[in-house]
Amino acid sequence: MTSAVTIPRHGGTGGRTAVAARARQVVKAYGSGETRVVALDHVDVDIARGQFTAIMGPSGSGKSTLMHCLAGLDTVTSGQIYLDDTEITGLKDKKLTQLRRDRIGFIFQAFNLLPTLNAIENITLPMDIAGRKPDKQWLARVVDTVGLSDRLKHRPTQLSGGQQQRVAVARALAARPEIIFGDEPTGNLDSRAGAEVLGFLRRSVDELGQTIVMVTHDPVAASYADRVLYLADGRIVDEMYKPTADAVLDRMKDFDARGRTS
Amino acid sequence: MTVLKTSMRNFFAHKGRMALSAIAVLLSVAFVCGTLVFTDTMNTTFDKLFAATSSDVTVSAKGASDTGETTSDNGKPPVMPASVVTKVRDAQGVKSAEGTVFSTSVTVVDAKKDSLSPSSGAPTIVGSWNGNDARTMKITSGTAPRGSDQVMVDADTVDKHHLKLGDELAVISAVGTHKARISGIADFQVTNPGAAIFYLDTKTAQQTLVGETGVYTNVNVTAASGTTDAQLKKNVIASTGGAYKVQTAKETADANQKDVESFMNVMKYAMLGFAGIAFLVGIFLIINTFSMLVAQRTREIGLMRAIGSSRKQVNRSVLVEALLLGFFGSVLGVGAGIGLAVGLMKLMSSMGMHLSTADLTVAWTTPVVGLLLGVVVTVLAAYLPARRAGKVSPMAALRDAGAPADAKAGRIRALIGLVLTGAGGYCLYLAAGVSKAADGSLWLGLGVVLSLIGFVVIGPLLAAGVVRVLGAVLLRMFGPVGRMAERNALRNPRRTGATGAALMIGLALVACLSVVGSSMVASATDQLDKTVGTDFIIQSDSGQMITPQAVKAVKSTPGLSRVTEYRTTKGDWTTPDGKTLKDTDVTAADPTYATDLRVKTVAGNLKDAYLPDSMSVHDKFAKAHDIHLGSKIRIAFKDGSTANLTVRAITSSDGLIDAGSKYISIATLAKYVPADKMPLDQLVFATAKDGQQDSAYKALKSSMHDYPQYKVRDQTDYKQALKDQIGQLLNMIYGLLALAIVVAILGVVNTLALSVVERTREIGLMRAIGLSRRQLRRMIRMESVVIALFGALLGLGLGMGWGATAQKLLALEGLKVLEIPWGTITAVFIGSAFVGLFAALIPAFRAGRMNVLNAIATE
Repeated sequence: MTSAVTIPRHGGTGGRTAVAARARQVVKAYGSGETRVVALDHVDVDIARGQFTAIMGPSGSGKSTLMHCLAGLDTVTSGQIYLDDTEITGLKDKKLTQLRRDRIGFIFQAFNLLPTLNAIENITLPMDIAGRKPDKQWLARVVDTVGLSDRLKHRPTQLSGGQQQRVAVARALAARPEIIFGDEPTGNLDSRAGAEVLGFLRRSVDELGQTIVMVTHDPVAASYADRVLYLADGRIVDEMYKPTADAVLDRMKDFDARGRTS
Repeated sequence: MTVLKTSMRNFFAHKGRMALSAIAVLLSVAFVCGTLVFTDTMNTTFDKLFAATSSDVTVSAKGASDTGETTSDNGKPPVMPASVVTKVRDAQGVKSAEGTVFSTSVTVVDAKKDSLSPSSGAPTIVGSWNGNDARTMKITSGTAPRGSDQVMVDADTVDKHHLKLGDELAVISAVGTHKARISGIADFQVTNPGAAIFYLDTKTAQQTLVGETGVYTNVNVTAASGTTDAQLKKNVIASTGGAYKVQTAKETADANQKDVESFMNVMKYAMLGFAGIAFLVGIFLIINTFSMLVAQRTREIGLMRAIGSSRKQVNRSVLVEALLLGFFGSVLGVGAGIGLAVGLMKLMSSMGMHLSTADLTVAWTTPVVGLLLGVVVTVLAAYLPARRAGKVSPMAALRDAGAPADAKAGRIRALIGLVLTGAGGYCLYLAAGVSKAADGSLWLGLGVVLSLIGFVVIGPLLAAGVVRVLGAVLLRMFGPVGRMAERNALRNPRRTGATGAALMIGLALVACLSVVGSSMVASATDQLDKTVGTDFIIQSDSGQMITPQAVKAVKSTPGLSRVTEYRTTKGDWTTPDGKTLKDTDVTAADPTYATDLRVKTVAGNLKDAYLPDSMSVHDKFAKAHDIHLGSKIRIAFKDGSTANLTVRAITSSDGLIDAGSKYISIATLAKYVPADKMPLDQLVFATAKDGQQDSAYKALKSSMHDYPQYKVRDQTDYKQALKDQIGQLLNMIYGLLALAIVVAILGVVNTLALSVVERTREIGLMRAIGLSRRQLRRMIRMESVVIALFGALLGLGLGMGWGATAQKLLALEGLKVLEIPWGTITAVFIGSAFVGLFAALIPAFRAGRMNVLNAIATE
């Protein structure tokens, strides 16, 4: 199974498509000839709007590459990627940058914040760069949701790791992007801080209607998602809806076993 | 051994990051070596020239100097009667002796009356064609001069002025103007650095240069085989009775060489001084580089310490890297220095000074000095960063590195800086307040050094304040990009401080000199306006005397109300305090000079000084020698008899023009000095009749048309000439300071480039969340501009302070007016902003090219 296209293209969400992002026959290869390594092998995928999607897979499965391509950080070798109705494959750097700035939010594993800016400046940075005024009410709600109201003037070095990641989440949410990409957002946190951040992500989907795609290798983190995609050797090999940590773990073990016997 | 190995590996792994530091070392070393090679080559050239042109023994008149420079005050060379040649021939061991005549106090013009004199300051020589010169010159076309209408010219001059055989030239000497056609062209057989040489036949040379035949300026003597020069000299002295100056070839060459050398040394040390400034600036760059490398490598160093490296080993490994950097930079610098010297020689060539690359002299000391200097300076500069590396704790290996922590400027540093700056300021204050210039210069020097060091030390603290102000004024208009640029410039004040300080040094010197220079011009102009009561001044820019014919031409110009002649001579003075002052200047002028230059008097009336057997002295001199109105001074005039003069006026010692002159009238001088020994005029002043200034100026210019060696200037022209002269000098110094400023700019580039590397992840993050390339580049440019402006602000402020203090001090010497050249200062400030933009070009480009993914992935 190399496809995860199971969602109708037009749902009931107003004028927008029900699919926030989609990939069609995406190939990402490095090198050429004998040294050619295929990181993504004709991947088709649809990311449903207003849902929390987790991408899982062992190291080297191509999960980070897929996310980077979907987010317009990396180029593809062939195939198309659409953000809503916009094809982003083939866009020039300038357009891509604008797209990332205006329509996409990011949460990285570490080093999410600029050390020279305080928390609130970091949160509003994408809008500042774009020269837009943040929506005050929305900003207040986001800040409140992630529970940072009393830390806004702090520099990143004065915040704990969990707090830093919450600032990053707030930044991703503040600009109301169409889609947020998270690259192991809890990878550097202890389980309590991680649970806190994942809780916020979950709530932003449920309460704010945010679309989120998260790459992770942690079954517990994946269990916060609505849907889990499994990648192996550059292909989508399985998917699971309404996952629980145990079910995810079982499925992983299953792949491992199959990998060993095949 | 492992220390060396890791150092080597680190060095080569980061060779890109070292590149700019290496260029800084290279430039400084190249400048030092270039200077040494160039001056050595000049010396070699002159050595060869003088060795080739000196005859075994030269006999010259008593009045001639050791170098054979042959001008006396009356504009003619001192001469000997023809009988001396016979006497020399009679001496033992003489193979041949030939009398020659030559003079450097001449001007030669072509048919269009354009001067053929070298513009490089080399002499114009007119002389008799003789056997000695025939050894070093070869006639390449035409024939040697014969008869009064023929002249032979050296090939270089012919080339430079596109002359050809048959062209008419005019030789203008104190005797008069002599016209002749080019009969031959002679080429040098040794490198001629640039003198223009014209040969006449002996009789014509005598008539043209001295005004009488049967006299010689020199006798060139050749020794018979078996007679040494020293022996020959003895014999010649015995034969001529000691009435003449007799020198061996070596003595003549040495005297010439000494003359050249003292000039060359001034040039050499001035240039080495500027190289020193460049080195100083380079130190900041090297400190910054190693500080940043150590900071970026903190984790690695922590690991080394954790697995057992001692502090000393870590410390040493950094120093070894510095050693490698210094070594490579210096080796390249020595090579570049030789190239620089060759380039300078070519440049000199285009300016009319011929130097041959065959004479290129690289003393063994040159590369040694270059290498030692480069390596020692680099290692010293790296010492502090190396010590900091040694202090990295093993725990650093375990900490999450990320970007190095932002350094804060320390409190002790602030205290030291403030104390130094305060002390420097106090010294400057003292310098401005002293009543004797000699004391003041010490305070000034001390003040300059202390305030400079003080500023360097508190630079990081000032950076915080100044960058914030600059940010508020300039950057805010660029929104978030400007704000981030400001924060970036502020995040490591020590780095920003050191980078700015490097630029500060060069710009402080520029500001200081520009203040002093424009104050000079303003003061002189002010003095001219206040004291000069004449309209025109006639003088030769090359210091030649004004011939009686030219003076006559001035006097016969219509529209002039008066003409004043001005000449100087020397005499041995006996003052009332019983002291004898040898060779002291006396100024002789027409009585009208008292009106032409309104010198203030302390006592008496200046006009009275021009009465017969009267004189004036200036205040300081009077005090020093117990002179009052009515005092008698005995002066034994050079070339004349002794006079007993009465002091009838004491002038103020203050003032920029003619300060310190002691006046007598020309009539008084004429009583004691025979007419043929009378000095010629140095200056002639002319004053127009009321309301006829413009027509008189034109008339004067046209009557001086036949004397292209003299310049006629009215007050406006004179002020302009003065301004140009000072401007030229300043431009030359600015040119040399450009080296230090270039190194400082490299420093800005270096800091930015290393910062960009250090902030790879941040840049990746910003790009990921939507910062466009253009915005990123702008951010880096802004940071660069702020650093540059910070350095400029400090430098210009400091320099203006120095300049103003220097003016206050020099006010004692007549520099009364302080003028701050705001135009220059503003231009430098704005220029610095452009320097900042320029410095950011490559770092910004590279940051823009960074791959977003790689940037994020950097661990």
